[in-house]
Amino acid sequence: MSTAIGKDDRKKKRTLVLRPSSRAVNISGSHGFNQSTKHTTSILGSSSRRSFSLGAGSKVLDKSTVQTPRQAVRVFDEEDNDVTPQPLYQADPGSVQAKASRFFLDEISGGSTSDQTITSASFSMPFSRSVLGSSRFSSQSTIESINEEMEDTFPKRDMPVNLPDVQGKRVAVKEQVTENMLNAVIDIYLSETDCISLLDIPSTSVSVEADNADTITERNKQYAEICKNMVGNEKYVDRSIQTLNDALKHKQVQSDSIVMVDAGTFVSTWEMYDTVSGPEPDESVSDSETKKADIPEAAVDSSRAAEKSVSMGSTTSTGSVTSSMKDVEAFGNSLNAEADLQLIMLSERFQQNLLATERSIVGNVFQPKLAAYRQLLVLDNPDRSLNSEAVEQKTEGSENSPALEYLWTFSCELSRGRSVSSMTWNKKNPDLLAVGYGDSESSDQKPGLVCCWSLKNPTWPERFFHCDSAVTTLDFSTNNPSHLAVGMHNGTIAIYNVQSQNNQTDVINSSECPNKHMDPVWQLKWTLEELSLTGEDKVESLYSVAADGRVSKWFVSDTGLDCTDVMKLKRIHDGKLKAAGNKTEKKTESVVSALTPGLCFDFHPTDSNIYLVGTWEGLIHKCSCSNSQQFMETYKKHFCPVSCIAWCPLSPSLFLSCSSDWTIQLWKQDQFAPVLGFTSTQKAVCDIKWSPKWATVFGVVNVGQLEIWDLKSSIMDPLIVESAVPPVNMKCLLFASHTDCLVVGDSVGQVTVYLLKNMRIGKGSQADVLEAVIQSATSRF
Amino acid sequence: MAEVEETLRRIQSQKGVQGIVIVNSEGIPIKTTLDNSSTVQYAGLIHQLVMKARSTVRDIDPQNDLTFLRIRSKKNEIMIAPDKDYFLIVIQNPSD
Repeated sequence: MSTAIGKDDRKKKRTLVLRPSSRAVNISGSHGFNQSTKHTTSILGSSSRRSFSLGAGSKVLDKSTVQTPRQAVRVFDEEDNDVTPQPLYQADPGSVQAKASRFFLDEISGGSTSDQTITSASFSMPFSRSVLGSSRFSSQSTIESINEEMEDTFPKRDMPVNLPDVQGKRVAVKEQVTENMLNAVIDIYLSETDCISLLDIPSTSVSVEADNADTITERNKQYAEICKNMVGNEKYVDRSIQTLNDALKHKQVQSDSIVMVDAGTFVSTWEMYDTVSGPEPDESVSDSETKKADIPEAAVDSSRAAEKSVSMGSTTSTGSVTSSMKDVEAFGNSLNAEADLQLIMLSERFQQNLLATERSIVGNVFQPKLAAYRQLLVLDNPDRSLNSEAVEQKTEGSENSPALEYLWTFSCELSRGRSVSSMTWNKKNPDLLAVGYGDSESSDQKPGLVCCWSLKNPTWPERFFHCDSAVTTLDFSTNNPSHLAVGMHNGTIAIYNVQSQNNQTDVINSSECPNKHMDPVWQLKWTLEELSLTGEDKVESLYSVAADGRVSKWFVSDTGLDCTDVMKLKRIHDGKLKAAGNKTEKKTESVVSALTPGLCFDFHPTDSNIYLVGTWEGLIHKCSCSNSQQFMETYKKHFCPVSCIAWCPLSPSLFLSCSSDWTIQLWKQDQFAPVLGFTSTQKAVCDIKWSPKWATVFGVVNVGQLEIWDLKSSIMDPLIVESAVPPVNMKCLLFASHTDCLVVGDSVGQVTVYLLKNMRIGKGSQADVLEAVIQSATSRF
Repeated sequence: MAEVEETLRRIQSQKGVQGIVIVNSEGIPIKTTLDNSSTVQYAGLIHQLVMKARSTVRDIDPQNDLTFLRIRSKKNEIMIAPDKDYFLIVIQNPSD
């Protein structure tokens, strides 16, 4: 138990025998005894000579310490005197031991001094820590000797020196640290110590100007004398001295292994950008598809002010790849998933994404057709040939004659069964087609429907509006491309705004207007009029012709575009026109009875003041907006109601008219008799339209078939005839402006798109061609 | 909400659509029309791909962001609409 180490004579001081009363095993880190089982890290990192029994201080400063009950250690010297070093500082057990450094001081001072050995150097209590922490007391003789002494003894011990006083203090501290003490205010006094000289090497040279320079010089001379005399003198004896070199020993230090963790992160350009720019509202409008101008997702993102998309991609190499973990997980927490799903499905972005996805899917399905529509090269799907052996053979090579190719049909469950009454393209976005459904001829009036179809999705309309009564006519505005004017069988005119997604009601409605039409509105048109004064602003007005015999001009009387409000529409008196009732050109008499239903009208392509009206009687009147009393001209040929009139867009003085008397007439503006007449079948002609691209081509829809006439090739027969499959009747027709396609609406709610192929129309001014044709035709007579 | 359901139903009934999967931001599929194993597989793999694609786009221009991703393969086409909170994945075989 007691280990006695006898120090040899090399030390003049008394050796110290450490006799710990029990095995207290707490090893301070710097000693690193091998037998010990518990390790504490070195606190100070100071020289190994200094630290010993730092367990107490380590209680506060150390990171990992295992306290074992300490026993008093007492040091005995050879004569069994108790030379246990007494601490300089007698701690008051009752006093607050708050300062950690005090422990150090206690231990160090307690351990490093003994009364016998300290002669100088004040070890006053407020010992600065830096002294403890860093310095090597190598040059201070007393302290060093103490250290050496202690150090010599210690390595041979297998237990550290535990100082009773320190231990006692420690214990005392343990008892006394209570909650109150921790919360109590503690006064700490700092004072400056006396100057402590750690190293004083007097200089060996003195300035010649110093005070005692003379004496020093004198002494130097004396010394030199002595040295000179020393050689053969008997007063001086040479003697050797041996410097004792102590045995070297190895000291081992042990510490906890430093745990190294690899952490890394990958920073990309955009992560840096995100961090620098901070949270931003997500301004980018989604959809890589082209947006339609008329149905934008109006200001969704800015209003939502979504948080910036925090970089989801920030990866750290330490983190496991999250997705691989998800593979392990099953379908996730059902609760969270449900809530998530609800949130997601209600978000706007999701709906936009759905829209884009649906369009992509549909685009895939209809890709060849759409390509043909757009007059792009139709590529054969290379993957298709893998599946099916019979590759579709296009039979276009053999036939070069003009033909209609069926592309696709706009139809959905909403529209099935309803008869198409009118169609119109949007003025700004030529991919948008508005179709009005309503059966005017049947006795039971179903409520009408208006669908806005997009070319990008032929399976479901982008917008649909349910109307009160059958829709008879439609037109899109030019100035406000999202305004769609709808005329109905009950005489109501409504303007819808197709831009907003959720709005099902109209912006403006004429149902409260006192002068509204009482009878079906047969045609509506928006017309741009040039203001004579300024010439800049084109005012757009809405004109309508109805079965009560009036052509009316509408404008909005009160401002306010709130779609829920019902606005009043007023008619100005200038535009009111009363059609002459009789077949002959008699003067108008009474208002009421002398009105004949007007069925169609068309404005002159260049002069918006002039328009043509077709009536029930088969008369066509040319009228002017500025003259509300009289017709400018009247054209008589038809003896049945004129169902449609169309000015030729490429040759402004010509127009076509068709009627239920199975004929189509081509008129010149200044001639009272038609230039040419066409007839092909003995069915009523429902609709007629000029081709926007070729002046000599026009399309005709009569009840059973669609006909394409080309005046250049023949004026007797249509160029192409496409029959409808009975009982389906074709109702109306429309040419597409940018392509060679046309759309046909029929009585079961389908709108079919056809492509005109191989129309060998030469270049050159179309109007001239038409003129030439007419000349040649008329010259025959 | 009903509209969204309606749209999803329409998409599902389009020609050649094999399945729709909606994955939340943690990579957990929250709605799917495919079987479990395929769904989990798609969710995990596509998550990684979208991260990479998005990283690519944003590296080139940090103000840009990925809005839609289409992968055309021999047998089908995978369309992915990524967002901050979710992915919408649709698999279609248009030549069916």
